[in-house]
Amino acid sequence: MIRLIVCTILLLMGMFMFFTATVGVNKYKSLNRIHTAALGDTLGLFFVILSLVLWRGMDLASAKLLCVVVFFWMASPVAGHMLSRLVVETDEDLGEIEMIDIDEEQL
Amino acid sequence: MSRIRDDYDNSRWRKIEDWIKGEKDPMDDTMEIRRPLDDNPDTDVQITEESLERTTQRLYKYVNRAYNLFSVCFCITLVTVMIWCITFMPAFGDGNNPVNNEVSQRYIEKGLEETGATNFVTGMILDYRAFDTFGESCVLFISTICVQILLRHDDKEKDTVVNRELTRLENDRLFEPKNDLILQKVSCVLVPIIFIFGIYIILNGHLSPGGGFSGGAVIGAGLILYLNAFGFKKTERFFTDRTFRVITLSALSFYCIAKSYSFYTGANHLESGIPLGTPGAILSSGLILPLNICVGLIVACTMYAFYALFRKGGF
Repeated sequence: MIRLIVCTILLLMGMFMFFTATVGVNKYKSLNRIHTAALGDTLGLFFVILSLVLWRGMDLASAKLLCVVVFFWMASPVAGHMLSRLVVETDEDLGEIEMIDIDEEQL
Repeated sequence: MSRIRDDYDNSRWRKIEDWIKGEKDPMDDTMEIRRPLDDNPDTDVQITEESLERTTQRLYKYVNRAYNLFSVCFCITLVTVMIWCITFMPAFGDGNNPVNNEVSQRYIEKGLEETGATNFVTGMILDYRAFDTFGESCVLFISTICVQILLRHDDKEKDTVVNRELTRLENDRLFEPKNDLILQKVSCVLVPIIFIFGIYIILNGHLSPGGGFSGGAVIGAGLILYLNAFGFKKTERFFTDRTFRVITLSALSFYCIAKSYSFYTGANHLESGIPLGTPGAILSSGLILPLNICVGLIVACTMYAFYALFRKGGF
């Protein structure tokens, strides 16, 4: 019973994160939009999968789900970062953005 | 080849295009516009730029609103028709459905014995219906060739310095982020994992869900990630035009020859000499494992080739 309640709360939190991310994606412009989308992809996905893992208990399927979380936490913020870099370099009416310039020769 | 119109500026299509873009009035030169006489300035209606602008804006707003309304109506109609159609479908999982005929019964009853694959789907697409899968692989190959015909960037065009400079300036790939440190570090971790996962999916195609198509797509995605992180200079070391040709052509011809042999012996009731092995082992189910590898190679090469062609026009 306690497990059911905890899982439900976690699932609802994840769904709330996704909902706010969707609202933000539709509301904001350019860079903020990327930010909200990344929020949904990281924290929302984490809550949803955590609740599924708790509901299922620890076995091979849960381990695979946790692998999905690890993959998303590595891939999704980087994708957001690349998108934002492209936006900063191409969008002309973005306004003033403070960019940290790394000399490409050093890399 | 279509006829090239030399008086394109005067064609009807061009006029419509101009009108849509708002560059030209279609009634230009056809109507005589007379300025109203300045006798009584009280009744004179002044058409200024501002009022014209306002009218156009209002028109735009109405058109936009009507467009939105029509699109919503269209979507609702489509959804209604589809849901209405679903009510005529037989119930899901019913034993009397037309899908449950002797063909699927045969697949389920004899599939393991005849193909040796514990994954019936792979046994179906790579054994019973292997030529269908062969056609799909050929479609992938042909589509890559077509894209190559259309988008291939010829090096001979940019011989001179001026041309090279022009293409460099016109190239919007200049804005693409290059040598991103974060992406490089992450792809150092992710790319090997993605490759291993794709290879696992391909090699276990006859044992668990998966197979050549999905595994090849995963490997192709890994290649694209590597290309994005490190650029064309690194990928050209192991993947060029020649590699693509050799891999796809050898995989396709091996598929064709192996499956033709298998079908020939099967149709003439000959012993094919291909051991089926014990079901469930990794080296089992005869030709399915090599054919899966072939399909996976073709799909991975196709994915990568598409990306490279659309991005740069070459490998």
